[in-house]
Amino acid sequence: MKNLFKTKLNAACFVLIPACIGINYLGKLFASVLKLPLWLDSIGTCIGGILGGPIIGGICGAANNLIYGFTTGDSITLVYALTSLGIGVAVGIMARLGRMEKLSGAILTACVAGLTAVVISTPLNIIFWGGTTGNIWGDAVFAWSQASGLPVALGSFLDEVLVDVPDKLITLLIVYAIIKGLPKKLTSLYELDDEVASLD
Amino acid sequence: MKSISLYVDKDTCLTRLHPFAKMFYILAAVSAPLIGGALWIYGLFLAISLCLLISGKIIRKVFPLIAFSFTIIITIFLIHGLFNQENQKVLFHLGPLVFYEEGLLYAARIGLNILNMLLAFATFVLTTKPADLVDDLEQAGFSPRFGYMISSVFQIIPQMMGTMNTIMDAQRSRGMETEGSLFVRAKAFIPLISPVVSSSLINTRERAIALEVRGFDSKNKKTFLREHKLAGKDKTFMLLMALLIAGSIVWRVLTWL
Repeated sequence: MKNLFKTKLNAACFVLIPACIGINYLGKLFASVLKLPLWLDSIGTCIGGILGGPIIGGICGAANNLIYGFTTGDSITLVYALTSLGIGVAVGIMARLGRMEKLSGAILTACVAGLTAVVISTPLNIIFWGGTTGNIWGDAVFAWSQASGLPVALGSFLDEVLVDVPDKLITLLIVYAIIKGLPKKLTSLYELDDEVASLD
Repeated sequence: MKSISLYVDKDTCLTRLHPFAKMFYILAAVSAPLIGGALWIYGLFLAISLCLLISGKIIRKVFPLIAFSFTIIITIFLIHGLFNQENQKVLFHLGPLVFYEEGLLYAARIGLNILNMLLAFATFVLTTKPADLVDDLEQAGFSPRFGYMISSVFQIIPQMMGTMNTIMDAQRSRGMETEGSLFVRAKAFIPLISPVVSSSLINTRERAIALEVRGFDSKNKKTFLREHKLAGKDKTFMLLMALLIAGSIVWRVLTWL
């Protein structure tokens, strides 16, 4: 419990962050090349959170959106820096609590991450886009909720839940498969309770 | 290798303007209409952004960006024009669809906000080289470790795209289908993404060792090859923007009284 937010800020962590941001970009790119109706743009953030802990996960998420916002002109992404930060921190905490060891834990983590994303994104959606998310399925639900007289906040919430929770579920299942396949040589770089022993 | 940055290498006064001055412009363009609260302030900043973009000779690069956001703006207009809660006054009919004034006004406000943000960011993004931005940030006291992080993103992504194309070709030559029904495409995602992700994570180990050997964790003060300070021109520009923000506050107070 004490180590929940403990972070090693060494070279290994500062190399992990750009790699994770790159992975986020690739996930989004593959999703658009294969025309999948999901975003899949937080794979890297989740990996960063699991390997480096909540703080590295949060930095990965926020830096990801800030860098893309300021260099590719995607100001839409910029608004969601807070959401990415939340996802990174949530996944990091769940991983430190030992939930990413088993498949059932991974699914639970996905629900927590998805709901975090929904809670942070909904107000942003309402302020900036009047409640829509830019995803066809989600926006169809939003249009339906508005037509049937539900309040904007509830409609936007449903819109976000419908898109974010399945997205995070698939993301974390992929991440779980990848993390299980990483060599110990790499993961040991990020372990907290390592000690330097001298042989003499 | 293709860079992901949209920077256009042109020697105009906008490119030469200090990145901080341009960031200050974004701040002014985003905050002033929100503070002022009137629709015409959006128009004013849209006009300023367009003038800046034309003077920077990069207006043609902006159109693809605007075209991308247009689908979102159209959805917003449709949803709010048709179904907004406060809709009362019918504005016009389009076949069986009825558009209302309140919803359309609300959508216009959001649409203008999106366009305004997009153009303000475009003036910054299209005229600032990421490496220069990182350099200037570090000279202003930003942590060099974070500076490394930002600039290495720009090196890593083209590398990863190269790996991705290799892996895509390799998997296709083994008979993997990447086109077809949704299920086929979804099935292709994992064999494509996992080798790229694993290999790039494994590469980070070597990169970390290389950095540590070169003194990445050193606490000494870093020096710079090229000193870049805010010039008089940059300060005048920032002062003008500060005046615009102040003006919007005055306008808000006046409309309240």
